[in-house]
Amino acid sequence: MGIQQKITGLFLLVSTLIYSQEKPSYFQPSLLRASATIAPTRFYTQQTTVALINGFVEYVSENRISIRGEANIMAPNGKLLYPNSPEKFPRNYTSIYAGFGYHLGKRNWKFDIHAEPGVVIAEMEQHPFLIVPAPYQWSVSPSFMLKGGTSFYFSKYCHFFAEINYSNGWIRKTPFMSVSIAQYGISAGLGFHLLTKKK
Amino acid sequence: MKGILLIFTLSLGYCFFGQPNQKYTPAGMLSLGGRTTVSIFNDHKNEMTGTGVGGQFRLRFSDAVNTDWFFDYITSDILNYAHRTDYHIGWSVLFYPINQLDYFRQEGGFKPKFRPYILAGHCFDYSKIEAKDGFSPLDGPMSAERWSSAVQAGLGTHLELSPRFDISLTGQYMIHLGNHIETDYDFTTGALSFHEHKGASLAGHLLLTLSLNYKIAKLWGFNRR
Repeated sequence: MGIQQKITGLFLLVSTLIYSQEKPSYFQPSLLRASATIAPTRFYTQQTTVALINGFVEYVSENRISIRGEANIMAPNGKLLYPNSPEKFPRNYTSIYAGFGYHLGKRNWKFDIHAEPGVVIAEMEQHPFLIVPAPYQWSVSPSFMLKGGTSFYFSKYCHFFAEINYSNGWIRKTPFMSVSIAQYGISAGLGFHLLTKKK
Repeated sequence: MKGILLIFTLSLGYCFFGQPNQKYTPAGMLSLGGRTTVSIFNDHKNEMTGTGVGGQFRLRFSDAVNTDWFFDYITSDILNYAHRTDYHIGWSVLFYPINQLDYFRQEGGFKPKFRPYILAGHCFDYSKIEAKDGFSPLDGPMSAERWSSAVQAGLGTHLELSPRFDISLTGQYMIHLGNHIETDYDFTTGALSFHEHKGASLAGHLLLTLSLNYKIAKLWGFNRR
């Protein structure tokens, strides 16, 4: 099969997915959806970019309202761009959020907004210059995440999603100035969903 | 005397029969939510803006009266020499001065709306102040802590985005009653010391809270009143 035939076949497949008008609306109350993905995230005040592993679970409780919980964990060796100042960035970083989503759009293509309070659990180096080996301390810090994105529900069990997020907070348990964890990141991928109640 | 009795009787009659014939009542509605808080104008010397996270449940007693039962975890810096952690657990009563809207009459499609309120309440508070550079691998951080009680009052509004879901923004001033901790920092030598003062004192802060709430159950008040 030539490359032109493959492209034509792919185009036809995508057209079928998008233009099959008789599809039911998969997004409706009682929908439970979840996914996990890699989320490149920029801690812009620390000039550090890391790969976070992001996972979420979301339950659609009304036509436009959902309840959502999610977690981000810094991937092993996940610091992609890093200023090499241990006192300025955590050795371990996990964040947990829970909140609500508001969904706009028709049928199976939705635009989503999420607001989620949460906490950051991080391990920071203390006294990096005075004591060898340097001690580390865990701390729990309040945080807040805002998220916007879009989702396309193309089958009974699968959807695509793409999201951009902003979150903020401060790690106070540091030897010097508190460390800002203001960040923005992106996440996208294939999600899975299931209707938990039948009409 | 007869005149007074007559007026009293008529007043009672007005109280009993002057209510609108509402089929439903929001009394007994239980909500669950998460919240984020910013603490500003802190009374502690050199304390900077704090940020917090917490949760709450909300139980409504009547058309005009609701209650919040909350927990907050707030952290803030005291310049760059110490940081403070506050835990609040308490309750507030919310009074709706404009109350002609019914939670349940959603015939003809729901439209988002604001519902302003006045609130006042009480909470218990645990505070801990730790030195930034006072950490010792053997002894841990140099710190001071206290338990106290507080009262708060303020204004807010719900933004009801669906019959069950609302976003609430509240501004309230919280006054702590009881022992308090003072920090003395010598900027020349870098020496930090904590002083605990016994007895009542008034110290407070302004709390701006954004909460997200979802009505999960109706505990009572199903029938026509």
